[in-house]
Amino acid sequence: MKRLSWALVGCLLYSPHSYSEDIYGTTNNAAQFGLNWVMTNILPQYAGLEVNGLVYQYTAVKDPETDMIVYVQNEYADGNGYIFRNADDWSGLPGNTISKAFAFPNLPATLWGPGSIEVDGEGKVEDPSVFYSYKYDPCFDPQVDPSCPGYEEPIEVPEIPIYDPLQDELVQAEMERKNKLQKEEEEQERQRRQREWAITNALEELLSDGDNPGLIDPVAEALALALTSRTLPNSYYNLLDGGEYLETVVLNGGDIQDNAKARRSNLAQQLLHQQMVDSQYESGQQETK
Amino acid sequence: MLKNFVVPIASSMLATGALANTEIVGSVDSKCIIISETAGIYGNPNPYELTTTPASGGVQPIIRYDVLVADYYKAVIEHPVSFSSAPTLDDVVNWEGDVEVSEVSDTNMADYDTNKVEYDNAHEYDLTVAGSTWFKISSTADYGYTKSFPAGTYTAIVEAECIPL
Repeated sequence: MKRLSWALVGCLLYSPHSYSEDIYGTTNNAAQFGLNWVMTNILPQYAGLEVNGLVYQYTAVKDPETDMIVYVQNEYADGNGYIFRNADDWSGLPGNTISKAFAFPNLPATLWGPGSIEVDGEGKVEDPSVFYSYKYDPCFDPQVDPSCPGYEEPIEVPEIPIYDPLQDELVQAEMERKNKLQKEEEEQERQRRQREWAITNALEELLSDGDNPGLIDPVAEALALALTSRTLPNSYYNLLDGGEYLETVVLNGGDIQDNAKARRSNLAQQLLHQQMVDSQYESGQQETK
Repeated sequence: MLKNFVVPIASSMLATGALANTEIVGSVDSKCIIISETAGIYGNPNPYELTTTPASGGVQPIIRYDVLVADYYKAVIEHPVSFSSAPTLDDVVNWEGDVEVSEVSDTNMADYDTNKVEYDNAHEYDLTVAGSTWFKISSTADYGYTKSFPAGTYTAIVEAECIPL
C-alpha cells in the first residue's frame, strides 16, 4: 500500500501532456545505500532529461526535548549553492515518520549535483527514501531514432583513398629527371666558371709581361710616337734656367745595413706568390685541355 | 416631445410596482479530505483472538487526513468496539484498540499524539497544521474467556471523521 501512495503522489507530479511524446519515470531510492548520493548514479543518462519532482520520507528518531534539524538537499552541479534544500525542524518535538513531495518546473538533470540528508543536532534518521521523478524526450536528438520527427538520413561519405604524390612513379621519374638536369646544369656552370677563371688568370699573366709583343698594337704605338715626337712652339713654354737637382744623401754613421729579416720575409712571400700563380696556371691549362 | 413621452411611461411603471428574486449560488469544497490508504486485516494467532498486529498476521489500517487549511478542523477516529458483520456470537467480545500518528508531512504534526484527547474508543486530534497526516489504527478482539471464535468472516469498522471547528 505504501507503493500505492507513492504511485498516487507520482501521478500528481507527472501530469503528462497528451500532445507530448515525453517519457516519464521515477528513480530508485537515492538514499538506499546511505545519506549521500551522486545524481549521475541515480538519474538515467538520457539527453535532455529533466527532473520535475521529488518525494522523500524518513523516520526521525530523537528525544522530544532535544533539538534536531534534518536537511534534505541537492547541490547545484557547479557547486554554487543548492538547487533544492528543505529543512525539517524537529526541535522540541517527538520523532516520527515524515513524508514530503515537491514539484519542480522541469529542471535539467545537468543542474543537479550531489544529494544528501544532513542531520544537525541530536537524533538520527532511519529508513530514508528519496525518489526523483523525471521526464525526457526520446527524440531530443532526432538522429538517435529514424522514427523521430526531424530525423535526417545520414549522408554516406565515400571513402577517398589518400593520394601521396611523392609515391607516384611518374612523379618520382619526373623528379629524378629534374634532379639530373639540375646536376648537369650545376656541373656546366661549374665548368663555365672554371674556364672563365682560367682565362682571367691567363690574361693577368699575359698583361703582367711587358715584353710580350702580342700586346702592342702597331697603330697605337705609331700614334703614341707621333704624339710624343711633336714639338710644341716656343710660345707655349719658357725654358727655365737650371740644371739638375742632385740627390744628396747624408747618412749618420756610414752605410745602410740590409734588413735580413725583411729580406727573408719578402723572399718567402714572393715564393708563395709564385707557387700560387703556378698552380693556377697549371689548373687553367688542364681545363683548357 | 420625447421627454414628455418618456416620463409618463416611467411613471406608469413605478405606479404598477415590480418584484425580482436573484439567486446567489456558492459551493464549498471540503478543506479536509479523508482517504483510506490501507485496509486492515485481522490475524488470528489464537482461536480466541483477532488482531491487526503485524506480528500476528494482521495488517493495521491506515487513514490519511489531508487538511488544506490549518486550525479549522479536528479529526476524530474511533477504533472498533463491535463487529459490523460476524457469525453469531453467544459470548462477550473484549475490545482493545489504539490510534496513533504514523506519518506526517510537517514536523509540527509530530506532537499530535501528545496533544490528542481520548474518550471511550475515540481519539480526537486538533488538526493545527495544513498538510497530510497518516493515522494507524490497531484493534484486538478477544472472545469470552479464551473461547474460540466461531468460524466465519469477521468485519469491524473504523470510523474517521473530520469535524469543522
